[in-house]
Amino acid sequence: MPEIKEKITTEIKRLLDEGLVDVVIGFKKEESPLRPQPAFFRKVDDLADLEYNGLCQNNLANYLTRYPPETRIGIVVRGCENRSVNALIVEHQHPRENLFLIGVPCQGIIDIKKIIAEVGEEISEFNEDGDEVILVAQGKTHTFKRHELLHDSCLRCVHPNPVSADVVIGEPLPEGDPEAIRETVEGFEALSKEERYAWFKEESERCIRCYACREACPMCYCTECFVDNATPRWTESDISPAGTQAWHLIRAFHQTGRCTSCGACERACPMDIKMTYLTDKLNKDMYDNFEFVAGMECETQPPFASFNLDDKKRFVV
Amino acid sequence: MEAKPKIVLFQCQWCLYSEPDQQWVENDLPKSMHLVKVPCTGRINTLHVLNAIQGGADGVMISGCLPEKCHFKEGNLSAMRQQDEFANLLDYVGYEKERIRFVWLDLQDLGRIQKELTAFEAAIAELGPTQNLATRTPQAIRGEHA
Repeated sequence: MPEIKEKITTEIKRLLDEGLVDVVIGFKKEESPLRPQPAFFRKVDDLADLEYNGLCQNNLANYLTRYPPETRIGIVVRGCENRSVNALIVEHQHPRENLFLIGVPCQGIIDIKKIIAEVGEEISEFNEDGDEVILVAQGKTHTFKRHELLHDSCLRCVHPNPVSADVVIGEPLPEGDPEAIRETVEGFEALSKEERYAWFKEESERCIRCYACREACPMCYCTECFVDNATPRWTESDISPAGTQAWHLIRAFHQTGRCTSCGACERACPMDIKMTYLTDKLNKDMYDNFEFVAGMECETQPPFASFNLDDKKRFVV
Repeated sequence: MEAKPKIVLFQCQWCLYSEPDQQWVENDLPKSMHLVKVPCTGRINTLHVLNAIQGGADGVMISGCLPEKCHFKEGNLSAMRQQDEFANLLDYVGYEKERIRFVWLDLQDLGRIQKELTAFEAAIAELGPTQNLATRTPQAIRGEHA
């Protein structure tokens, strides 16, 4: 991992020195090694703080929409972030020519909650060595296999490699198995109606409506969200069952054909609510019905932005 | 079920060409059915449908023009894609997708809307009242609770 960080630093240094970009979005170190934060590098001097490891939780594509289109942005992208960037380009959120994508094949993001459950929050050192994760907590060294600590959505990851990066740093990794997501969704579909509703009720009604999932999601960039709208008030904005259920259904539905399964929503959730089972289902349907996978290239419009007379016709009576 | 099922009918304002049908929908709709007229089925947001369900409707029917005959050329096609997938999503979390039905109406179909509504009402009555998905705190609509 340190050598990848070196290479990223060199690449960003080159971009800034040659004046190819105005700003580079990456990660920087924080006091606790557990929580690297998104950082915006405009000067070469700031690069000493740069960080890149498995603990970088955010989806950096999220910050793309906060810049005007003429800003030239360099951005460190992993597989899912690259697809999110592509999906944003399709929606005209930033022109491709003003973006420089520094791609890094991703071994998966480590779930902080799993680390805390294993060794507590007092981590003084964090190291990655190939397939192993070495943690120093309160003077003791712990070694874990990487897949034991990976975030659930990264365990199901299909495309860990950047798909359209300008520069790729590191060796490409093997593609994931698309059956993993399919099996999860089909397993849920096989349950009875009551069991599915009980699960949905349990998950959605824990929600405290903090909207961290919305803020973490790169595709949730509307200036006014339907839940903030007061006239008309679309849903109850408190934590009533109807309000939380409506939020979870519509939030997922607005991601149909746009979600890249990065799992940033789940990682941001303070209540540990599972959300990807909804978006995974919608992604699976988009693939089955329209053979569409969000963000694989930056030309095709998502299915709901287009139409076809040959659509499958369940509704037609 | 003792009481009649509550049905919300979203109706495209262009699809009922025949005068008597339009008159019937506007004036003689049974009390258990609630009419929402929309400029085009493409205008129907999934939030409208969810609002109807959470507002206590037992079923939602959407009537629109035939695929090639949309007044706005393509509104009904994108509507169908979205509403169909939304029904699938609701089904996935345990709400019966039979409670949402989309009907294309044609110029020649005199009296079709009555037949469709009767059939739909019977289907919903068989399913019984909605169990899954929480309902909102009732809001007064035109002085009475919907």
